[in-house]
Amino acid sequence: LYRRPTREEITIVKRAFNKWGIFSFFRDKPLLINERKTDKQKEIYLLSSDLEQLIIDREPCIAGLKIGELKKKFIPSLQGADLIARTSNKFPYILVNEMSEQRVVYGKNILGESIIEKSEMLDENQLVILLNKKRETIGIGRTRVSSRYLLQHGKATVTTLVDIGSYLRNE
Amino acid sequence: MKALIFPNSNESSAYAKRYGYHDWIISRFLQFIPDLGYLLEKLDEEPQKYIRVNTLKISISELKASLQEKGFELADTLLPEVFAIKKATFPIGATIEYLLGYYYIQDISSCFAVEALDLKENHSVLDMAASPGGKTTLIAQKMKNTGCVVALESSFKRIRSISFNLARCGITNACVYNMDGQHAVKLNMKFDRVLLDAPCSCEGVIGKDKTRKTSHKPEDIEFCGTNQLRLIESALKVVKHDGLLIYSTCSFAPEENELIVNSMLEKFDVEIEPLQYGSEGLIRFGQYRFHPSLRNSRRLYPHIHNTTGFYIAKLRVR
Repeated sequence: LYRRPTREEITIVKRAFNKWGIFSFFRDKPLLINERKTDKQKEIYLLSSDLEQLIIDREPCIAGLKIGELKKKFIPSLQGADLIARTSNKFPYILVNEMSEQRVVYGKNILGESIIEKSEMLDENQLVILLNKKRETIGIGRTRVSSRYLLQHGKATVTTLVDIGSYLRNE
Repeated sequence: MKALIFPNSNESSAYAKRYGYHDWIISRFLQFIPDLGYLLEKLDEEPQKYIRVNTLKISISELKASLQEKGFELADTLLPEVFAIKKATFPIGATIEYLLGYYYIQDISSCFAVEALDLKENHSVLDMAASPGGKTTLIAQKMKNTGCVVALESSFKRIRSISFNLARCGITNACVYNMDGQHAVKLNMKFDRVLLDAPCSCEGVIGKDKTRKTSHKPEDIEFCGTNQLRLIESALKVVKHDGLLIYSTCSFAPEENELIVNSMLEKFDVEIEPLQYGSEGLIRFGQYRFHPSLRNSRRLYPHIHNTTGFYIAKLRVR
């Protein structure tokens, strides 16, 4: 069931959007929460204004674009990460070479030597958006080490959590 | 309504034997398909593949350059956002650009059907048989993610593929209901535009699935025709005054095309408006005589238009 976010949920989302640099992009955009029946997981969807009006009392199977999940924090989905990368100029990222791009879309982790650019300060265990050389979003990862060790050769320094190849693998 | 069956002739038997079809199919085709020999030849070749650029995510020129850099050869078509693939260096469903949602693999005939909807931003649109979502995503794209697109799919299993395609293409203005189009009135809504790409006997895609040369039966046409009548009646009930219904199938059979639309002319206050692409619709078939405005509807033939076999009619609701 899609519903409007509560005041508490809005606060968490706003704080997260500010952190990811997308606060102003989402300022006037309708967002709805879909709480999954199976595990009570809260998913956040971006919708056009007309669509929001239409579905609020007519339960669809799917509506809008899932941009992330709301746990204690906001966790972007692949599509949410793509929106962030297109609109924000302050988000944590790792930019990889072509060989690593191929590995990522098969769900493989990222080796230190394949990273050609990264955000300035990254902590260990931090969510990062994975970009290819054209700065396109190819996945979401989690750092295994902090900034200064990320480029280590011969070591997987970023875990690939989700990637655009999963669309095909899950089909 | 029963599928019309015509007597076999030497010509039909010769074609049927040479190309591996049932006689009854060829005898029917001879009644209304121009240059049948060329069609049968064409259906034995690999069908032309097309991609449609998702302009919500990338510009036409950027995608073209990106694929050409990888060795793809693309040819322009009648629609600026659609390219014919002349040479592919990778499977077109497995490139990074595909995974990023930059394009959709879609026959141009389907794009003509969406083009006929004359979409404007903020329209409300109903896609009555939406899976796997190719037309739904194109409608959303044409409306620049504004307004709303309601997609219906009767099979719950197939909703997964729509969901995948909506997400991949970055669609924010569409929703999906697990509902048979025959029950569209239950949505309690009227739409500016309705697209009914009706489930059909798929005669037009024999080029993709050669088994249909012999698995196809006259009863398929009869079964589909009955279903299509129910669907189109349901569709017309949910179109706003002065709104549009686009009816399409990937079948050559007049019983699934002109005959269905003709019966709506007798029952509803609708007009058939002209369309730009394709050959004129039929106004006679066997003993049937159709309203002259059926000429405004369009037939697309693989050997003439280099598409899958397709039929499109544009109905304006008065």
